Amino acid sequence: MRFGRVLTALACVALLGTSSACREREGTAKGDRAELGTQPGAPVPDAARAQQDSVVATRVDTAVSPGALGTVPAAPVDLWHGPGDRPFEVALRTGDPASAMSRRFGRITLRTSLRTRAADLGQYPCTSCHLGRRIVLADDRVADAHQNITVVHPQQTGGTCSTCHAADNVELLALKSGERATLDHTYRLCAQCHFSQAEAWAAGAHGKRLDGWQGRRVLMGCADCHDPHQPALEPRIPFRAPRIERIRGSGK
Amino acid sequence: MTSDPTTEVPRDEAGQTLLQKRVDRRRALGILLGGAAAGTSAVAACAPVSAMTPESKEAKLLAWREYIKGNYRTMTEAERAETIARLERLAELKRGVDVTIQSTGAQPGVVFGYGFNISKCKGFRSCVEACINENNLDRRAATQYIRIFEMEDGVIDFDHADATFQHEVPAEGHFYIGTQCFQCADPPCVKVCPVGATWQEPDGITVVDYDWCIGCRYCMAACPYWARRFNWDEPEVPAAELNTNQHYLGNRARKAGVVEKCHFCIHRTRKGQLPACAEACPTGARVFGNLLDPNSEIRWVLANKRIFRLKEDLKIEPRFWYFTD
Amino acid sequence: MHLKPFVLTALDSATSGGRRYHVWMGGLTLIMLVGAYAYSLQLRYGLGVTGMNDHVSWGLYISNFTFLVGLAAAAMMLVLPAYILKDVDFGRAVLMAEAVAVAALVMCLAFVVVDIGNPLGGWHLMPGIGFLNWPRSLLAWDVLVLNGYLALNLAIPFYILYSRFSGRQPDKRKYIPWMYIAVMWAVSIHLVTAFLLAGLPARPFWNTALLGPRFLASAFTAGPAFVILLLWFIRRETEYKISEGAFAKLALITTVAAQINLVMLGSELFYKFYSPTHHGINARYLFFGLDGHNALVPWIWTAIALSTVATIALMIHPVRRNPRWLIPACAALFVGIWIEKGIGLVVPGFVPSPLGEIVEYTPSLVELGVTAGIWALGMFVLTVLVRVALPIELGDVRSPYIDERRVTTIVRPRSSRPPRADVRPVRTR
Ligand code: SF4
Repeated sequence: MRFGRVLTALACVALLGTSSACREREGTAKGDRAELGTQPGAPVPDAARAQQDSVVATRVDTAVSPGALGTVPAAPVDLWHGPGDRPFEVALRTGDPASAMSRRFGRITLRTSLRTRAADLGQYPCTSCHLGRRIVLADDRVADAHQNITVVHPQQTGGTCSTCHAADNVELLALKSGERATLDHTYRLCAQCHFSQAEAWAAGAHGKRLDGWQGRRVLMGCADCHDPHQPALEPRIPFRAPRIERIRGSGK
Repeated sequence: MTSDPTTEVPRDEAGQTLLQKRVDRRRALGILLGGAAAGTSAVAACAPVSAMTPESKEAKLLAWREYIKGNYRTMTEAERAETIARLERLAELKRGVDVTIQSTGAQPGVVFGYGFNISKCKGFRSCVEACINENNLDRRAATQYIRIFEMEDGVIDFDHADATFQHEVPAEGHFYIGTQCFQCADPPCVKVCPVGATWQEPDGITVVDYDWCIGCRYCMAACPYWARRFNWDEPEVPAAELNTNQHYLGNRARKAGVVEKCHFCIHRTRKGQLPACAEACPTGARVFGNLLDPNSEIRWVLANKRIFRLKEDLKIEPRFWYFTD
Repeated sequence: MHLKPFVLTALDSATSGGRRYHVWMGGLTLIMLVGAYAYSLQLRYGLGVTGMNDHVSWGLYISNFTFLVGLAAAAMMLVLPAYILKDVDFGRAVLMAEAVAVAALVMCLAFVVVDIGNPLGGWHLMPGIGFLNWPRSLLAWDVLVLNGYLALNLAIPFYILYSRFSGRQPDKRKYIPWMYIAVMWAVSIHLVTAFLLAGLPARPFWNTALLGPRFLASAFTAGPAFVILLLWFIRRETEYKISEGAFAKLALITTVAAQINLVMLGSELFYKFYSPTHHGINARYLFFGLDGHNALVPWIWTAIALSTVATIALMIHPVRRNPRWLIPACAALFVGIWIEKGIGLVVPGFVPSPLGEIVEYTPSLVELGVTAGIWALGMFVLTVLVRVALPIELGDVRSPYIDERRVTTIVRPRSSRPPRADVRPVRTR
């Protein structure tokens, strides 16, 4: 009985994984807006939603109780393996803007500088300007149109937009190999330079594993924590300091 | 798929019978004293007849049964279930909160280990906040299990570190290093407890039976990492902020006069989740996992990173490693 | 058969006396009441009403405890020369010393009880219904040895006094073996208490092999010093004669022990300060203060000054033999060691914390009240015990049911006056 449920769960997970992988491959291959439009911002197709829901519902009964994982869809990671050569997955964000906007872990809302790129992009899709056009950096309109972006990283490294973004579709990442990746698979792009970080990430020493230490292994992608244009975590005022001296009880 | 984990706690036969005897004797005593107490309370109840509502009567009786109960470690499964039922009912009667107290046992083949990346920690104290909320830490006394020390680059020196920093972090020229209970393999705090109120579980978590602790604070003196906290006053957690997902050996309500400590979020980690601190850390500085699983993240860190532990010379084998990128 | 008159006589002795006696007892009772009130506050609101905190988790209570264990131990160790080496001069001092031991133990146990956060859980310690973590926990050892010691110290004097009271010579074969045990036990209670602290590598300030010997040396200083004070008081206030010889011997023991104590303190200081390691940081806090935190500095230097001056004074023979100097010197030693081995030993173990944080400790009013109350309790117990023991020792009181024909040994009164058969308390001047 239990075993049956687990099987169902596994099947669902596998289905979800393959379907998202398919979507990704299609997008990468065609790179056209019509295909990608289903991903950012736009409502997830009902069938996919139903699948996700069934995953959520089924996972409740398995040994590992769901934390964040229950709400986060994930896709298998190619090319990289975890410790012991075990495959793992990366959280998908572009498909579910609601889950990407803020991250709640248990009772806490995670206040990282989580970049919800694709969700923002949905408001004013890059492709409305960029589709099929080459990027011209010298143009003043570039700066005006991207006021919400502080380009620290490209400047430090002497890169340009097209170092990372596909020149003809900014919503896709251009890899050195000529391949393209969606914004969910930033690690493929980042790892081209930050290979030691990527290795540590795949192994678990860098970045975050979602949900639990046990069970399915889902990692957050690079851009979930780092703003790709300004990758250092933003400084902030910490949570309140400990009181070194004990506060006397009201009993006195 | 999940067999009842509580049955997996290894028990040795001889010890069991010995403990059983002890329990029986106590039970007999409890019944005797309980009878006496019931008598006196009946006498007392006669005077202000209307003062005793059925609820307060029930609460009194439950509190008495709680008072004479044994050490969690020596309880049978049935006794554990009974005390948990009583505690849940008491929480309802006294505070009007509906809590669930688990008694989940250790998973076989699991010993927890923790890694802390001092290159990554930025001193945000998100872990501290998560810990306070998750573990129902006393809000009035502002108890915190986790300490984050701000240190100047170049040397690990706790004497000149500052744990009370309150400015924008990370500060220039500083790094951050967090401490909490390190769940030592050979815990000095367990050794010294005169009543055996604190012990190490099979998965390596050192826990406290808050109802058995007599509050002598010897364990606090024995801890080289200053990981234990004492309830100097009755701890206060607003009912609205209470985490009702609790564990008997973890974040359930404590009372004044007993000691408590970090328990690696036993109510979460025994079900496969991450401790609240590791989950809340925005920088990914915290790595948690099963030391017995060669493919776990923590094992990879131990094998591939430069690691150190605090006060290695004490030979108490803390299961908490610091590492750098 | 003589038990009822014994109890009655004891009660009578304890409750009758001159006006000064009543004022003294009344004052003690008052202080005890204040202490009881303070403790009731602590019971009601938790240990939060004390000055202790998560950093300095033991304070005035445990400080007094460690000191008083020493007092209890040392008092009994005086028994050794008296009963076993048959030193008659000393014999008279011994009963008083045992009274001191009992009073000190009562205080010890009281200090432990008030220090405990959950005293209602005390039964958890009881083997059988609870669980005593023996032999792993040194605190479990301490619970055992202290209670055992208390039992011994109550039983032996009771036997001796009761025998005298009922007109029999106490049987040496019956109590000397227990005496041997008690003497060894005295050493053990103090060593166990020292090990309780010394066995914690987390606290380098205590974690030294010298702590046990230092405890013994300081106990041998403070204990006899206190007995000297007591005997001097008894000699002044009652007709119980204590020879100069006894005083001389006690003073000698005190002097030698004080010297050893200073030597040990010196070597401890050398070890901590000549090549200062991180382990010496607590000592630095104690003696010189750390980063502007120096609450204990005046105390410890007062203690060292008192001990040093008193020790040097006692080393000069004419000074030691003159009560005019001996008494203040003993008082100075007693106070000096109380500071050094109490607050000066326990608190710096916690400051700075193992993680280098500095939180200072100041006892709260409630804590001071409870402490005063317990000391008053101890003095009360001591006074009562001395009051009960003295007339019996003097031969002033004896059981009215003594069958004179069956008395084989005539009890020789120790005072110069003829024995009186009626039950009468000692008259205070
Ligand atoms: S404070 Fe509690 S847990 Fe700690 S040693 Fe004392 S009885 Fe044991």
